[in-house]
Amino acid sequence: MTTQPIASAQLSAQPGAVPTGRGQGRRRRSSLRWHNTLRGWSFIAPNFIGFAVLTLVPIVVLFYVALTKWGALGDPEWIGLDNFVKLFTRDPRFNTALWNTLYYTALHMPLTLAASLGLAVLLNQRIRGAAFFRTTAFFPYITSIVAIAMVWNLLFSPDYGPINQILRFFGVDNPPGWTVSSTWAMPAVIVVGTWREMGYYMLLFLAGLQTVPRELYEAARVDGAGAWSRFWHVTVPCLRPTTFFVTVMLTIGSMKVFDLVFVMTEGGPGRSTLVISQLIWQQAFVEGDFGYASAIAVVLFAICLILTIFQFWVNRRVER
Amino acid sequence: MKKTTLSLLTALAAASALALTACGGGDETPSGSPSPGNTGGSSEAPAAEPVTITMSGWSLETTPEFQVLADAFHAANPDVTVEIKEYDANDYGTLMLADMSAGAAPDIITIKEAKALGQWVDGGQLLDVTDVVSGLASNVSGAGSYTIDGVNYAAPYRQDSWVLYYNIDLFAQAGIDPPDGTWTWDDYAATAKELTSKLGGPKGAYEHSWQSTLQGFAQAQTPGADLAGGQDYSYLKPYYERVLDLQDSGAQEAYGNISTNKLTYQGQFGKQEAAMMAMGSWYVATLLAQQASGEADSFAWGIAPIPQYDSSTTGTDKVPVTFGDPTGLAINAGIDESKLEAAKAFLAFAASDAAGVALAEIGIVSSVASDAVTAAYFGQAGIPADDLSKFAMSTHDTRPENPQSPNISAIQTALGEAHSAIMSESSGIDEAIAQATETIQAEIG
Repeated sequence: MTTQPIASAQLSAQPGAVPTGRGQGRRRRSSLRWHNTLRGWSFIAPNFIGFAVLTLVPIVVLFYVALTKWGALGDPEWIGLDNFVKLFTRDPRFNTALWNTLYYTALHMPLTLAASLGLAVLLNQRIRGAAFFRTTAFFPYITSIVAIAMVWNLLFSPDYGPINQILRFFGVDNPPGWTVSSTWAMPAVIVVGTWREMGYYMLLFLAGLQTVPRELYEAARVDGAGAWSRFWHVTVPCLRPTTFFVTVMLTIGSMKVFDLVFVMTEGGPGRSTLVISQLIWQQAFVEGDFGYASAIAVVLFAICLILTIFQFWVNRRVER
Repeated sequence: MKKTTLSLLTALAAASALALTACGGGDETPSGSPSPGNTGGSSEAPAAEPVTITMSGWSLETTPEFQVLADAFHAANPDVTVEIKEYDANDYGTLMLADMSAGAAPDIITIKEAKALGQWVDGGQLLDVTDVVSGLASNVSGAGSYTIDGVNYAAPYRQDSWVLYYNIDLFAQAGIDPPDGTWTWDDYAATAKELTSKLGGPKGAYEHSWQSTLQGFAQAQTPGADLAGGQDYSYLKPYYERVLDLQDSGAQEAYGNISTNKLTYQGQFGKQEAAMMAMGSWYVATLLAQQASGEADSFAWGIAPIPQYDSSTTGTDKVPVTFGDPTGLAINAGIDESKLEAAKAFLAFAASDAAGVALAEIGIVSSVASDAVTAAYFGQAGIPADDLSKFAMSTHDTRPENPQSPNISAIQTALGEAHSAIMSESSGIDEAIAQATETIQAEIG
């Protein structure tokens, strides 16, 4: 942005300052253009090199490793599609992990979307202490995931945890075992995941809310629209770009969930909370099969890509 | 214009430096230094010159055994210095794998978990040390855990095994006879229940949430149990039935509470929350240190042989069966030729009587079983010196927890899932074992 005006100024100043032939001027212009291009490249080079070395190359290598048998030491052995055949025909753990990941996404995504939008709308009002509440809502997102898992595990503790003590107080004789129950472990993880991330998405919605024209609310109010009607017919349509962005990010984030599950339940009990990212980690770093782990990663990438393309397609149709 | 050119060049230089740093790292590490010991003239020096070899270790502040071995070896061989490269204990396997693939692993590689050995051997990272191991004394145990296709890849320097710790004061308070070395698991369970009812507060037993605390014994003690075979894991069932009964009757802390409240075994036994606990022999040193520092309560305790599958191996005239993996030392296949002899000498030294005594003095159970080592071990201040404790620590048939097999990690992962499903009672025993067996067969098949 800053190089362009300087370059233009230099270009316009040159012909008057140095009265030379047309050929020389062209050479000078081309030299300046080269300088500017080089300067631009030099600015993006550090970031691009970092991205290429740390992200792009590993991603490309991943597709190759997925077609090999490789334990991270020595040379990979080419086995074609064997890893994918095993994945889809012989690995019961992959099916469970895929199902669990979809289960997590299907609940976590809409819950977080609703909670963050609700919080944003609430804290966009002129209420006392709004800044304090906004900060408080954002805190979980910047808190250490390990600390979060420790505290929530204590809260969910089946015998001594306050959640079950409260449930017992209200007459629930057999409260859930939460993280040590194969039925309730995933809902418990989803609750914590939603609690942790809603503050971040709330900020995005708050930013989106600032772009909604006040006149629309005033016009709706003049037309006799109530609060719910204003929210549904003004806020929601105006927030569509933000909602779309949040939906895409949440979907991809949910499909890739790892840290929270890993520190809260380690995929258990049994494999009731085993998700695809954890399976990838397990295959690579516990069982030492980087080829198979890469094949699972490729499948996860494909699923995320398909879901994102679908979301873009739906968004485009709605926009029309 | 000059200024612009200068700034442009600076930017380009910075970018190039970054690129070179990023790309050059891989080339530099193999010949570069994982630690100062790998640099300088010493690595190129002939054998007669001083040699520095590097060795991997973890949590050096709380795990002094590496430095003790290094110092004792240096005292006996002043020309050779052993430098320790510290790794994070929790991620040791992953970090070592990364160093190996970068060619930056140290000369001596400590084998923290025997199940990692197969992958490292397959990757051509470890040297054949059969000549060193075959030269070890016959009273050194654990070398079999590092043998693949008849080739030894590491020499064991410590051999932990699982024993039963019991709180003498709590037994006396309950008026119950303490273990005498004749117990089967049924005797243990009956005593745990009796203790719980008589003590009124502390539980009779504590079983930590690890899968080893149950599966290790079932695997080691049940006749015909074949972990690596992948066919039949029904031998786990009686062990789970007994433990679930203890858990449901309140004689031991529930698995759910242990995992959600992150209870520590040191806290449970050290703070007298439980009267008995099966645990590895490494806990002796921890308990002594924690009692000395006040972190654990002050109480009398003893060590008994681990309860047995049946009466055929009970009693102090028999050899009780337990489990445990050794900790060993291997040699990096990429070691400099000039350091090889020193490295082999270090491996042999670590499994010698002299090293065993040095380790025993800091509470480590050496792989060497000798009178001198036993005397040094029981010479520690505060250690129970009764006959049963001595018998439990010195006499046992220790079977490997992770026998060498290419599928051992996958098998243990599947059985680990079964363990958490059964112990949390979110799955029936038969159902969880069947699911694990199906997964293992898919993996092996």
